[in-house]
Amino acid sequence: MTAAGPAAGASGPVLRVDGLDVDIALRRSVVHAVRGVSLEVAAGETVGVVGESGCGKSTLGLALAGLLPSSAVTRGSIRVGDREVTGVGERELRAIRGAEVGIVFQDPMTSLNPTQRIGTQVGEALRLHRGASREAARAAAADMLDLVGLPRPREQLDRFPHELSGGMRQRVVIAAALICEPKVLIADEPTTALDVTTQAQILELFDQLQQDLGMATLLITHDMGVVAGRASRVFVMYAGREAETGPTAEVFGSAEHRYTAALLDSILRMETPRHAALYTIPGRPPDLTADLAGCPFAPRCPAASAVCGTTYPPAAGAPGAAGGHRWHCHHPVSEPRPAPHATEPSR
Amino acid sequence: MIRFLARRCSQALVVLLLVSVIIFILLHLLPGGPARAILGTHATPTNVAAFNKENGLDGPLPAQYWHWLTGVLSGNLGFSYVLNQPVSSVLAQRLPKTAFLAGISVVLAVLIAVPVGLYQAVRRARIDDYVVTTVTFVLYSTPAFWVALLLIDVLAVRLHLFPAEAPQGAFSTLFGDPSALVLPVATITLVTIAAYSRYVRSSVLDELAQDYVRMARSKGAGLRVVLLRHVLRNALSPVVTLLGVSLPFILSGTLITEQVFNYPGVGLLIFNAAEQQDYPVMLGVVLVVGAATVVGSLLADIVYAILDPRVRASVNGEAGR
Amino acid sequence: MSLENMTATLGGADHPGADAPAEAPGRVRLRAFADNRLAVAGLAVVIALTLFAFIGPLLYHTDQIHTRLAAETLRPGPGHPLGTDNVGYDQLGRLMVGGQTTLEVAFGAAAVAILLGVVWGATAGYLGGFADGLMMRVVDALLAIPALFLLIFLATVFKPSVLMLIIVVGVTAWLVPARLVRGEALSLRNREYVQAARTMGVRPPTIIFRHIVTNSIGTILVNATFQVADAILLVAALSFLGLGISPPATNWGAMLSDGLNYTYSGYWWLTYPPGIAIVLTVVAFNLIGDGLRDAFGLDTRRG
Repeated sequence: MTAAGPAAGASGPVLRVDGLDVDIALRRSVVHAVRGVSLEVAAGETVGVVGESGCGKSTLGLALAGLLPSSAVTRGSIRVGDREVTGVGERELRAIRGAEVGIVFQDPMTSLNPTQRIGTQVGEALRLHRGASREAARAAAADMLDLVGLPRPREQLDRFPHELSGGMRQRVVIAAALICEPKVLIADEPTTALDVTTQAQILELFDQLQQDLGMATLLITHDMGVVAGRASRVFVMYAGREAETGPTAEVFGSAEHRYTAALLDSILRMETPRHAALYTIPGRPPDLTADLAGCPFAPRCPAASAVCGTTYPPAAGAPGAAGGHRWHCHHPVSEPRPAPHATEPSR
Repeated sequence: MIRFLARRCSQALVVLLLVSVIIFILLHLLPGGPARAILGTHATPTNVAAFNKENGLDGPLPAQYWHWLTGVLSGNLGFSYVLNQPVSSVLAQRLPKTAFLAGISVVLAVLIAVPVGLYQAVRRARIDDYVVTTVTFVLYSTPAFWVALLLIDVLAVRLHLFPAEAPQGAFSTLFGDPSALVLPVATITLVTIAAYSRYVRSSVLDELAQDYVRMARSKGAGLRVVLLRHVLRNALSPVVTLLGVSLPFILSGTLITEQVFNYPGVGLLIFNAAEQQDYPVMLGVVLVVGAATVVGSLLADIVYAILDPRVRASVNGEAGR
Repeated sequence: MSLENMTATLGGADHPGADAPAEAPGRVRLRAFADNRLAVAGLAVVIALTLFAFIGPLLYHTDQIHTRLAAETLRPGPGHPLGTDNVGYDQLGRLMVGGQTTLEVAFGAAAVAILLGVVWGATAGYLGGFADGLMMRVVDALLAIPALFLLIFLATVFKPSVLMLIIVVGVTAWLVPARLVRGEALSLRNREYVQAARTMGVRPPTIIFRHIVTNSIGTILVNATFQVADAILLVAALSFLGLGISPPATNWGAMLSDGLNYTYSGYWWLTYPPGIAIVLTVVAFNLIGDGLRDAFGLDTRRG
């Protein structure tokens, strides 16, 4: 269970996000779903994006796939390979989707068209982008179904989604997303709708596919366990912003941001004494329509002080380096907590 | 699918039976009792007794019902003293004409409403959607007889494009003067389109919000591909069910149209029968029309079952009906 | 009965709502409705027309009982803002009186339909099994007979009066609410609070009303508005067929169909005022129904 690392000899990151802001216009307000996110994923590498529901990670995924609704406004840059994806017209986006970027969504039951056969759906991207004939697409689909581990792939081609189990459907969805061998794969909660055993199988599948196809994978999830063994780097999101990022082992082993630490604390472990109270983070995520000054986690943070409410914490840790450990916290874990009612900024 | 069909068929059978029970009840609601109502007020007690004996109306109710039902099933729907014909032969003349009128109108309505509804859904919340929605809304809210008379006023009287009255006579004469069919068909079609396009629009919007559409887009499919290859098929299945459910509504509209254009169908028949208090004919029409809609609805469900692969394979295909 | 009504049972009554709002649900819905400009406009139109029909005659006195053949079919002018009809009644005053009847019958019929339909449907859904099956087959059977056909028959047997009209129209209209509420009851009867009530020994009628009906109130309200709209059109059709109420009473449908006899004489004031009144009212109720549907989050349909 080795975490996938950057491919040797890669010529720079395949996916590169720089200062991405996504605002979504509602009827009466604007939701600042993503704020100032920057990350990179190299070929053959898996990066995990973690956070609770509503933290903006799904919006990030949609932005990367060019699937944001028309009410969304994006600023910043997203590069896939050499291409710039933001600010580009619908026609170019269509060329990118499916061919350069593949995306796997959460619920395999609803992601598949119930009245269309499996073979057609898997081969669709090939026909759209490479102009493949029906027979060629069918053959390729059978190969792909074999690759994702579906038994008797040729027979499955003519079946309908409701005839397959949840795990098999998710494999079909993955096959459909990867049939054009895209450079980037975005997996948005790919295992959340599955039972635990199937989850493990699908994650194994991702590993194997990455070895075979070498795509850069962005694994978006709220489940830290999924990320722990699979991603070489992790990106923790809170309220649309980057809270902490870095090599998985480092971030999970010595978390600096108070939110990351709290998340890790709330994971149930084998060593937890039987009648101990479960730790949960008090409070609720902030309202993303408000223009927040300061650190968005401050209201729920045990180490917050006055400065946390006024100034957004600058990046600390290994500055700028793509692989380094970076966080945004005025009072990271490694520094002593300020006194509860301190009014002056701590060191 | 077999199980689904078997269940639907047995349900339809029960419903048909209940329809017959309802008609039977209506028969006994007649003022003065069925005999007196049908024979007229001048009927003597002897006539009434004879009538009752002949029609099995002199026993306990369940026996009466059985007698009546077996009569109906063997083609005896009573006798109209007003028209001096058996009810079944009157119906045999009129029913095909109504079926023809309603049939053509529905087919046309579907052929127009589907593209219109699709268009509305795609252009949702833009100016063309608002315009079309407003037009269909107003059309939908206008009494059918006004629509019919307006059409006559403009197209028949002022512009002399089409005749204002439908062709009379046997079924074959209907085709002798097709232009006389235009306005009646147009009336029913217009009113039906107004309702159908709204439904198609909702259905398409529902489908467009589904995850599989997002999945298709994520593979690089454009709007045209999404609509034609994915959405249309799924959005149309509910329309098939809609056709079955809307038959009574369409037939009510047909009744009004027949009255306005003097079209010799069952709608006009029952209307005339009401004026003349010809109860056997009225009951006969209600029975036949009721049975027809049950059968029509069943057929629609069968087609739906054939179209939807989930129902084809599964055991429990009922969708909340 | 309108298509809208029939298709109400097709699309699926309830969709899982969005995350629980922080405000009381009643408030949220009120605000959602108020945000919908078309729905509010519809409500305004209905209120305006109701005031027009019921308060109008108190301010604008006309004689609607005695005919004045000398003053027949006068054009709109001083003394008669909308002219007079073929027996000399002032048309504007007639519009008000006709409106009263139209609205009374429509609301009355809708009330009857909802009452019958809710009781029947909630009971059927709650009971489930064979009883439910039988009750719903009865509904299917009545639905199979087109309303107008049935009404023609009933109108020949029962002499039409306002009350008769209300009952007769209501009796054909209760079927759709029955179906809808039965659907709601089927899904609600498995909710925990219903099961809890059952185990506590609460009697079925109480369960049905306190839990099932109150939680279906959204569906019921939405359908009620469509019922009113339908009833207006149905009564208009009946009046056109000559099965409405006899003069001097009148309703908009009767005014419209009587007026249509004079189309070729160009007496537009006999047709357009009642016709437009009908269309306006039906459109308004449909808009209100749509707005309520959105506010209760009952359908993913509307934009």
